[in-house]
Amino acid sequence: MNIDWLDAFLITGLFEVVMIIGLALLLHLQLGLTRIANFGVVGFWGLGMYAFGVLYVKVDWPFGDPWQFLACAALATLVAGLAGVVVGWLIANLDTDGVLVGTLGFATVIAILATTEDGLTGGARGMGGLRIPFDVGTVKEDEFAWLLVLTAVVAVIFLYAWRVHRSPYGRLLIAVGSSEALARSLGKSTFRTKIGLFAVTSGAMGLLGAMNGAMVRYLDVGNLGVEITLATMVGLVLGGSVRVWGAVVGVVLSVGLFDIVISSYLPLPREWYTQTIPVLRQAAFGLALIIVLLFRPLGILGDMRRDKLMRKIHGR
Amino acid sequence: MDFVTQSVIIGLTEHAPLVLAAIGFALIYRLTGLINVAYSETLTLGAYFAMWLNTTFGLDFYATLIPTAILSGLLSVATYVLIFRPAKHRGVGGLEMIIISFGLSIFMRHGLQFIFGYPVRFFDVPSPDTIWVLGVGVTSFRLVALVSVALLALLLYLFIQRSSYGLQARALSADEQLAKVSGIRPLVVSVMIWFVAGVAGGLAGAFYGVGSSVAPLLGWRQFLFILLVVLVGGAWGLGGVIAVGVATGILLTAMALTFGQILYAQLALIVAFIVLLKWQGRRLTETAKV
Repeated sequence: MNIDWLDAFLITGLFEVVMIIGLALLLHLQLGLTRIANFGVVGFWGLGMYAFGVLYVKVDWPFGDPWQFLACAALATLVAGLAGVVVGWLIANLDTDGVLVGTLGFATVIAILATTEDGLTGGARGMGGLRIPFDVGTVKEDEFAWLLVLTAVVAVIFLYAWRVHRSPYGRLLIAVGSSEALARSLGKSTFRTKIGLFAVTSGAMGLLGAMNGAMVRYLDVGNLGVEITLATMVGLVLGGSVRVWGAVVGVVLSVGLFDIVISSYLPLPREWYTQTIPVLRQAAFGLALIIVLLFRPLGILGDMRRDKLMRKIHGR
Repeated sequence: MDFVTQSVIIGLTEHAPLVLAAIGFALIYRLTGLINVAYSETLTLGAYFAMWLNTTFGLDFYATLIPTAILSGLLSVATYVLIFRPAKHRGVGGLEMIIISFGLSIFMRHGLQFIFGYPVRFFDVPSPDTIWVLGVGVTSFRLVALVSVALLALLLYLFIQRSSYGLQARALSADEQLAKVSGIRPLVVSVMIWFVAGVAGGLAGAFYGVGSSVAPLLGWRQFLFILLVVLVGGAWGLGGVIAVGVATGILLTAMALTFGQILYAQLALIVAFIVLLKWQGRRLTETAKV
C-alpha cells in the first residue's frame, strides 16, 4: 500500500477527528436524546485508556497481539461500562446540577487515581509500552491501518445511534429527555433506562480510549484534562445535538479545522504550534459553544426530522 | 490533640479562600439557579489582576485587594450583562445555560493567556513570616487571608441577611414576578449580586494566588469543591455554605495529614459529597437555590 501522499501529521489529525466523532455520537445519545449533560466524557474515555494500558503492560498474557489487544480492550470496555453503571446509578435521580457534579466528579476521580497510583499507571511520569496490535509495514502504514480500524468502529457506533433513533428504545430515550415524569407515568422505568444507556455509551467511550492508547503508545495524565470533553461537546453542539449527523458535521468543522486544516495546511510560524494554536483552539471552542447556544441552540442541522415532520403535519 | 489542632489551624488558614469563593458562587446560584462554571475564571482573573497590579505597579499585595475586588466585580457583571442576561431573554434552557457558562469558562481561561502570557506567574512579595499558633507554624499571608476572609464573609452574610438590598435579592430569587410587583428592579439587584459575587471570587483568587502561584487552571482546580460546598451547604442558606466550607477545609487537611497526600483527601471528599448528593436526591440541589 503506497501512502506516500499522506502526511504522518494528517494521520494523527484524522485519528483525533474520527475518535472525537465517536465520542460525540455517544454524547449525542446521552445529551441530545436523553438530556443527560455528561461533563465527564474524559473520565470514561480515560478510564478505558488507562485500564487498557495497565492490562496490556502489567499483566503477563499467555498470548500475543492481536489477541492480547482484543482481550485488554474488551476488559477495558467492560470496566468503563461498569463505571457507567455506577455513575448512572448515582446521577439517575438527580437534576442537571447533580448530574454536572456527578460526571465532573467522576472525571476528577479518574484523573486523581491516574496520578496517585503510579505503581500501576506511571503517575505523572506516564506509561509506555503500548503499541498498535499489528505490523503491516512502516510506522506510518501501521498508523494508517489503525485509523481505518478506528473508522470502522466509529461507523458501527454511528449505525447504532442511527438505529436507536428509529427504534422504540430511541423513542423511550427521547421521552425521558422531554418529560421524565410523563415517561414514568406511562409505566416506563426511566431509572433503568438511564443506567442502561450510561453503561453502553460509557463502555464504548472506554473502547475509544483503549484504541487511542494503542495509537499514542504513551499514556500521560495531562490528557485527562477538560480538552476531550470540550472538543466532544463543541462538535456535538455545533453540528446539532439532536441529530446523528450533527456529531459528524460539528466535529469535522471544529476539531477538523484545527487538527487538520490549521495543523497540516496553513503556513504558520513553527513556534505557534507549541502554544499559540492549542490555546487559540480552546478559546475558539469555548466561544463557539457560547455563540451557537445563544443564536442557534439546535446547531447547524437544527431540529430532529420527526419534529420537523410533526410541525408540518400540524401546520406550525 | 495535636492532630486536631493541626487540622483545624492549617485547614482554616489554607482553605479560607474556599469559603469566600463559595459565598460568591452561592449568591449567583441562589439568585438565578444557574451553575455558573465561568465563576472559576473570576477566581483565576482575580489572581491575575492582583499579580499584575503587584508586579507592574509595585503595589503591596494588600494594596492590590481593593482594585482587584472592583475589577473582578466588573468582570462578573460584564459576563452577566453580555452573556447570561441575553441568554435568559432568549429563553435558553437551564442545561444550555450551564453549557454556555462552561464555554465562557474555557474562553476566558485561554483568552487570558493571550493577555498575561503562557508561563506560570508569581507575586513579587517578600517571604512571609512564620507565626506560631498553638504550636502550628502558619505564614503571615495565610493568617491575614483567614482574618480577611472571616471579615468579608461576615460582611457579605450581614449584607445579604440584614440589608435592604439583601432582602431585595432574596425576594427576587424567591419569586421574580412578585418582586417586580413590590417595586424591586431586577436589573439593579441582579447587577449588584453579580458584582458582589465577583468581588468575593476575585479576592478568593488573589488569596489563592499569593499563597502559591498564578496559573490559568487556578480557579478550575477549586471549582468542583466550591460547587460541592454550595450544593451541600446551600440547603441551610449562606450560613450553611460557610459552615460546610469551613468543615471541608478542615476535613481536607485532616485527611491529607492522614493519607500523606492531598489528592487522596480530595478523592475521598469528592466521593463522600457525591454519595451525599445521591442520598439526598433532588431535595438538596432544589433547596440550595432558594
